[in-house]
Amino acid sequence: MVAPIYIIAAALGTAFTLGLLHKTGKTLPYVLMTLALGLMTFISLEWLLAFLIDGQKEEIIYTAGFKPPFSISLLMGKMEAVFISIVNTMAFLGSIYMARDLKNKGVNSMLIYLLLIMGLNVVIMTRDIFNLFVFLEVSSIATAGLLLIGGRKNAVSAGLKYLIATGTIAGFLLIGIIFFYYYAGSLSLDDIIASKESWISVGNIALLLVLLSVILELKPFPANGWALDVYQGANPGIGAIISASSATAMVYVLYKMMPLASEAWNYVIIGIGLLSFVASNIAGIKQTNAQRLLGYSSVGQIGLAVAIVGMHQWLGSGLMTILLAMLASHFLAKAGLFWLAGIVNKETTKEWGILRNKPVLLFLMGTFIFALLGFPPFPSFFGKWELIMSLSDLGQYGIVSLILIGSLFEAVYMLRWLGYAIKEDKEEAVNFSIHWEKFLPVGIVATALYAAGYFFGWKSGYSDWYKYMPLAFAAALFLLDFLPVYVKNSITLLGMGWYFFEMYTQYTGLKFVFFIIFIGGGLLIFLAGYYKKGKRVGFYPLAILMYAGLALMLEASNMLEFFFAWEIMTAGSYFLIIRGKKSMTHALNYALFSIGGAFLILAGFGITQAGKDGLSLELLYQVGSMSPYVFILLAIGFMTKTASMGLHIWLPGAHAEAETDVSPMVSAVLLKAGVYGLIITMISLGNQFIGGINIQVVLAWIGVLTALMGNMMAAFQEDAKRLLAYSSIGQLGYVLFGLALMSHLGWLTAISVAINHFLFKAMLFLAIGGVVLRTKTKYMYQMGGLIKKMPITFIVVLIGIITLSGVPPLSGFAGKWLFYNAILEKGWYLQGAVLFFAGVIAFLYCFRLIHTIFLGQLKDEHRKVKEAPFWLLLPQILVIVGIMVLSAFPNSILKPLGEVLYSYFPEGALSWNDQLANSIYGYWDGKMVLYVVVAIFASVFLWALIVTRKSQKVKQFNIVYAAERPFRPETTHFAYNFFAPFKKALGFLVYPGITNFWNRVGQSTMAGADALRKIYNGNGQAYVLHIVLFFIVVYFITAGGF
Amino acid sequence: MEFKPIQILYALLSLFIVFNYGMLLQGFVRKIGARVGRRYGIRFYQPYIDLIKNYTKRSTITHGIMYYLGPVFRLTGGIGLIMFTPLIFGSDIFGNFSFSGDVILILYFMFFGTLGMALGAAEGGHPYSAIGVTRGLAQTTAFELPLALAILSIAIQYQTLSVSEIVAAQQGGIMNWTLFTNPVATAAAMLAFLGSMMRSPFDVVLAPQEVPIGPPTEYHSSLLGILQTNRAIFPAAKLVLFMNLFFGGATSWWELVIKTFFIYMWSVFVGVVYPRYRVDQSIRWFLRIPLILGILAILLM
Repeated sequence: MVAPIYIIAAALGTAFTLGLLHKTGKTLPYVLMTLALGLMTFISLEWLLAFLIDGQKEEIIYTAGFKPPFSISLLMGKMEAVFISIVNTMAFLGSIYMARDLKNKGVNSMLIYLLLIMGLNVVIMTRDIFNLFVFLEVSSIATAGLLLIGGRKNAVSAGLKYLIATGTIAGFLLIGIIFFYYYAGSLSLDDIIASKESWISVGNIALLLVLLSVILELKPFPANGWALDVYQGANPGIGAIISASSATAMVYVLYKMMPLASEAWNYVIIGIGLLSFVASNIAGIKQTNAQRLLGYSSVGQIGLAVAIVGMHQWLGSGLMTILLAMLASHFLAKAGLFWLAGIVNKETTKEWGILRNKPVLLFLMGTFIFALLGFPPFPSFFGKWELIMSLSDLGQYGIVSLILIGSLFEAVYMLRWLGYAIKEDKEEAVNFSIHWEKFLPVGIVATALYAAGYFFGWKSGYSDWYKYMPLAFAAALFLLDFLPVYVKNSITLLGMGWYFFEMYTQYTGLKFVFFIIFIGGGLLIFLAGYYKKGKRVGFYPLAILMYAGLALMLEASNMLEFFFAWEIMTAGSYFLIIRGKKSMTHALNYALFSIGGAFLILAGFGITQAGKDGLSLELLYQVGSMSPYVFILLAIGFMTKTASMGLHIWLPGAHAEAETDVSPMVSAVLLKAGVYGLIITMISLGNQFIGGINIQVVLAWIGVLTALMGNMMAAFQEDAKRLLAYSSIGQLGYVLFGLALMSHLGWLTAISVAINHFLFKAMLFLAIGGVVLRTKTKYMYQMGGLIKKMPITFIVVLIGIITLSGVPPLSGFAGKWLFYNAILEKGWYLQGAVLFFAGVIAFLYCFRLIHTIFLGQLKDEHRKVKEAPFWLLLPQILVIVGIMVLSAFPNSILKPLGEVLYSYFPEGALSWNDQLANSIYGYWDGKMVLYVVVAIFASVFLWALIVTRKSQKVKQFNIVYAAERPFRPETTHFAYNFFAPFKKALGFLVYPGITNFWNRVGQSTMAGADALRKIYNGNGQAYVLHIVLFFIVVYFITAGGF
Repeated sequence: MEFKPIQILYALLSLFIVFNYGMLLQGFVRKIGARVGRRYGIRFYQPYIDLIKNYTKRSTITHGIMYYLGPVFRLTGGIGLIMFTPLIFGSDIFGNFSFSGDVILILYFMFFGTLGMALGAAEGGHPYSAIGVTRGLAQTTAFELPLALAILSIAIQYQTLSVSEIVAAQQGGIMNWTLFTNPVATAAAMLAFLGSMMRSPFDVVLAPQEVPIGPPTEYHSSLLGILQTNRAIFPAAKLVLFMNLFFGGATSWWELVIKTFFIYMWSVFVGVVYPRYRVDQSIRWFLRIPLILGILAILLM
């Protein structure tokens, strides 16, 4: 084992040597410096491994051979090993990344860089507060030096502000240290802690000054303007080191200091941390400069870390795992992003569209951003999970909500940025070059993120290999992304098919239904995938990611697994949605609503497990007095996925702009994930009341209004895919209503509507997608008369709309019939009537869909349109078969479903006599109806054939047209503003109040962000004033330091 | 109840009676209308002559398969409605296939023909057809709401959705009719009924004067003949449904004829007295008094 003192020795020695090497060229000094950093990294990692594996004991290093207080002592404990390993590894990678910059700037920059890192090492290990001060100064000055010698514009002024600010802080720190020496008689941290009793009553001012100085070094809001300028102005490589290494080291310093503080201080520190976290993330929303954006995010994340340190007494032994998980995501991802910023070399976030030229970099950026946002499988996911669960255990729901709100704000700007990178128009097709030494560190930290994610997952009890299997499949497809579509599609089908046949015996009951929808539906829609040519870069891994989430969700047995799966699914679907041509904003909306919803679910799970053992989903059955709140949190969370009214605004754009076969994935399949969640919630929590109000009644009304509003909006759309998207909102409204009925028939309605919706929406989206593919437009008034060109698609749409509208004899009627029986039984007649009204409005949009596209007049530009590709048609035809079977034999699905539901709601079950269903009110024989209708239809058809046997076909414009001869399809095809009178009469019902509401929420958040960041006026003096004021305010709040 | 082959014959018999009744009803009502207007009017069997004329026209054109199937859907809808509605209370013969579904089936099956017809008309490519269809659908959404409320109300009243059981509950005297036991629901339904009969003031769908003549614009000869056949059957079936739900049903064909005649005359009277609404006006109209009545019918239950 190499003694830790050699870390300092190596740094100092090399720094001195470098001073002599000014004349020897730049490569030798650079190699020496890198070797030194490598050695430092090696020593720290060696210690870390010794602690982790061999149970190494901590060691104190006495410098100069004396014991404290006569000398400085360094401690090498487990935590110190962890933190210096982080600092040194990042520094080492940073030195590789900055190879060119450091060489360009010369030997001095290398020397300073080494000193900075050495300073941070000592700061972590030292047990002497004056020594702490000295090395803090060393690293501060080194940082300022690095800022001054190179960076973006304003780097010099940023460096100067940094010097002024840290100088001021250092002044306070020094005064505090002097006071400590006066009161405690020692500068050794351990001595001061040991003699806490003797000085605590008088030494509070010392404590205040020292603690606040350390906190101020961590850039708390609002005294952090200088830090933001630094992040913005710094060379990205330096920015990465400041964000990753310096901040991490300072968090540890704060942690070291905590034993000094009295308990009351914890609250102050938590407060400061959370304020920083929330405020920086709000202020970040308006930011357009990429590096400054990263600055806001860094300040926010470190604020959260400060708050976590402040919670050390609450979190107890769990503290370090949580802190490290959060920090790991932070320093790895933040360094990665800073380094990427250096590679892209564009100032504003909008210009990052050029990243698309390098898919690998785009992938890395996605990795970093999702890691920062706490998505699985990254460390912060587990960190956040543990944190929220622990805080919930303590009943700290206020803090939980602050953390979640702050995280949501962070998601806003991070995902907007990612959206720009994926979708924003590229200004010029710059094919920028990457140097391997810049790429290597980025790749390493990304890999480390995944590895760390697995490590922290293992710590949280999420380590079974088979739970990572679907993710591994996605990863494998990522590696095979260079293959053409038909190969990848086949692999996907094989993989999913294998999973399907492997697992379908494992599930029973409702899970089985959803398994069929998720995985069976996935297989069906992937069949359509063969229609694409070329490579379809990135599609398959992301699609599989979504399905992996869905599959894992069904497998989940505890809340952590469920939430893990839920987030995986959200991430996958986000990337699928954003692939659409104009999907940037829609995908962002989707992601924000989903993340917001996920946080509500997280909070709900937190409350659920509070004070109980384990995380099993069964705990939802025994929530106790908090259950109405848990119910509301979970219900709203899941309703963001089912796009219930109020939370629906993301859906139309997201579904309409998605690619041809993605639309059915996110509509027919994905929406059912929300339904599954609602079902779990309702089964386990049952009927809930809050303040005497039955929550189910509220949900039912939301369902009713969703159906009405969705269907009505669908009737007014000109865009065929938007029409279908709104129709999904409406149909999911039915499902929500059915579930809210909390009765056997209600659930039967809901689930049969869900199954039918899955069938016809998959079919319709594929069919309309085929039309859009062929006609190159989504606007229905630009189409017309396509029945002659796309007859199979027409038949599919015809069957689709008959099923959708619930007209007998097809299977859609089952939902309608069940629904009436259900509302009669429950007695919710008015809701039922409004839903009926909504159902009739469905006729409007169904007719519009089929008429304006397939009937009426064929346009000249579509005279050569071909039928949709075979591979798009195939799944549609398979679905038709399914619908026909369900129509003729309704009991084949309703009866087993009824048996499943019997265990939850034994009352009001249907009785079956072959295909004849009897409820207490009515009866319905699906097979008989189908036979009768088919028989009549056949007879009438025969009759028509007889009486019209001599009919002749005429040309398009051979119509009775009031003495005129029409010749232009455009003027003869009635399609635009199709339901004008209806809109005139009832259009006021769909006044976009909710969209306006969310727009206003967005605008006021923006305005708030703008107001908040006004304090950052760029003036160094003002920043110093902030620092001083910070001391004064905290002085008053703590009444002079407690 | 099980299906027996003999029922096909019964069905044809029902169909024959209802068809002729519908044809005669049309003829007589036009005759009465003319006499009220001091004209001589048509012969009461004129609808038969028109029908035969159309079926025997020599030239028939078609715009395509859906255009061709439109009337087929339409007539299937009309005949199906007859088949799913019990015509004569207590009669196995004229109960037809009403054992395969209840009032909900009937309510939704009404749309079958409408939708098919709309599609057929639309393939004709004539803009007036499509305009007529949009008007019709828009108006339908409005009057279906009070109708649905009324039907829900009587379903609550009788605790059943089965038409036969609803009729059964109304037996034993005129005071047992829904008309008297649930007058509000009946009022709502009868106002909605006006909308479904395509007569003034709600006849803008066909708009005989200015849009010649709505969805069937492009139909002629035998295809128009099929539509005319349906125009005899479909309203008759609807009349029977309203009779069953609100006016005690019928135990004999005579009772059926008398009751449905008066129900029909209700729409004729209103049509003679009131001028036509525009579609947006009629939507608002249905969503005021009829809707309020419908809601009352629910609340009073």
